[in-house]
Amino acid sequence: MTTGMQQGLIYGFMALGVLLTFRILGFPDLTVEGTFPLGAAVTAKAVVEGVDPIMAVILGGLAGALAGASTGLMHTKLNVNNILAGILTTSGIYTVMLRTMGRPNIPLLAHTNFFDWVFMMVGLSSENFSFLQYQVGTILILLVMVTAVRAGMGWFLGTDLGLTIRSTGNNEGMIRSLGVNTDHTKLLTLMISNFLVAFSGALACQSQGFADVGMGIGVLVAAIASVMVGEMFFGHKGLSRLLTGVILGSVIYRTLLAIGIRLNLPAEDFKMVTALLVLAALVLPNLKIKSKKTKVSEKIRLSGCGGDKND
Amino acid sequence: MIKLKHVYKIFFPNTANEVLALNDMNIEINPGDFVTIIGSNGAGKSTFLKVISGIETVDEGTIEVAGQNVTGDPEYKRAKYIGRIDQDPMASTASEMTIEENLAMAYMRGKRRGLHQGINAERKQMFQEALADTGLGLEKRLQVPVRTLSGGQRQALALVMATIAEPKLLLLDEHTAALDPKAAKQVMDMTHKIVAVKKLTALMITHNMEQAIQFGNRLIMMHRGRIILDIGQEEKARLTVSQLIEQFTAASGTAFADRVLLS
Repeated sequence: MTTGMQQGLIYGFMALGVLLTFRILGFPDLTVEGTFPLGAAVTAKAVVEGVDPIMAVILGGLAGALAGASTGLMHTKLNVNNILAGILTTSGIYTVMLRTMGRPNIPLLAHTNFFDWVFMMVGLSSENFSFLQYQVGTILILLVMVTAVRAGMGWFLGTDLGLTIRSTGNNEGMIRSLGVNTDHTKLLTLMISNFLVAFSGALACQSQGFADVGMGIGVLVAAIASVMVGEMFFGHKGLSRLLTGVILGSVIYRTLLAIGIRLNLPAEDFKMVTALLVLAALVLPNLKIKSKKTKVSEKIRLSGCGGDKND
Repeated sequence: MIKLKHVYKIFFPNTANEVLALNDMNIEINPGDFVTIIGSNGAGKSTFLKVISGIETVDEGTIEVAGQNVTGDPEYKRAKYIGRIDQDPMASTASEMTIEENLAMAYMRGKRRGLHQGINAERKQMFQEALADTGLGLEKRLQVPVRTLSGGQRQALALVMATIAEPKLLLLDEHTAALDPKAAKQVMDMTHKIVAVKKLTALMITHNMEQAIQFGNRLIMMHRGRIILDIGQEEKARLTVSQLIEQFTAASGTAFADRVLLS
């Protein structure tokens, strides 16, 4: 349970990033499959080189922002299709990761990790912690961080600049007619989103004690699942609810996975199950609407007249 | 205010579908003019407005707005001077955002957008006052998502949005055509009032001949990418719909489409 919660909070940063591109900007950004392990790789390399873990995690995030900029520039300046731009960047990232790390993975168990470092900063020595104490401690750290980021995002999306990002996703032609260069808003959003995703990868690497080029496989669909779980339970009632909902969605999703593992369910099936869940979540609302529509038309036929909704 | 010199616009060049949408278009529009634009389908009316706002680029010629040559400027740069409303009520507002958020974005037209909160008490008051002028009660519904509004309410909001930041120019592309007659009249009356109060220069495309005669101080008629009739204030005041149709037939050599006659 605690592992699921910890993982959920770590992947919560990624879910917020994915929410920003997929939902708010309406840009299906596949870069994140590469950005996630990139954040981990850069962080691991930095730690091995002697950078302190907090700085290393931030460097990881910044590497992600650069990857986002690459996709954004390809799409806006070179007119590459958005999905293809993400795939091209992701492909390039693999080379960058292998060059950065010098090999496909780096173990970090011998190094002080991010959480130990934070415990030290607040005057605690994590060596004396029991396993449970350690878990709860990391959860508290993550909770503070994710709450801060969520509050920051809520504030940012309410600023003049943030409003332009939301309207770029909602009605691009309209916000351009109000004097906004939508190339810039897209670029900025992709950078922020990929920063969050790489930051998430950096924290995952710190918590697991290694970085691996393959750790990004399937993280996007998991993030989308988290966003959907969040929307289902907490969404559609304003942006603020949605931001919180997505983080909770991530926690719920990861906790369910952890329970699945505890119950010895076959782990190799999880990705297929996730894919099917996302598909179901996409398709089911449409089916519902269809059945409602037939009901309305039946009512109209029965009452013998149509209503005019315009006033 | 606006000057077009020898403007050409060709769609689908070098194909079987090639269309000469603007064919050596020349016009000068004075500050404060309210110009109504009529013409049959495919006459180039919308293209005329689109090259002014910068949605379409021109193939030849120059465009000046407010004394500046804007021919090569992208749309977002010209937006400082130009407010516009489209025929489609979905086009000029962001449906998933609230009324006040839409107004906040419109209020920042042409200004640098930073990390100021888009909505504060001072702005709210200003938005409420601007909406109160529409007489639709929208000022009490600032936090409602725009998707819940009717077409007429959305166009009224679009009108407030297009003019709240005091642009120099207002471009209206049949902005009442998709509304029911009652809402269309409301929005048209509102337009007339705002243009007069804010002393805007306005260009309005319409398919409604009566509207074209009733509103504005100048009427132009387009046909095949050119202006074939240009009627000033005095002559326009005496003009009737049947005279207008006669003049069109004489100038273009074709009859008006049914849709125009009936409206």
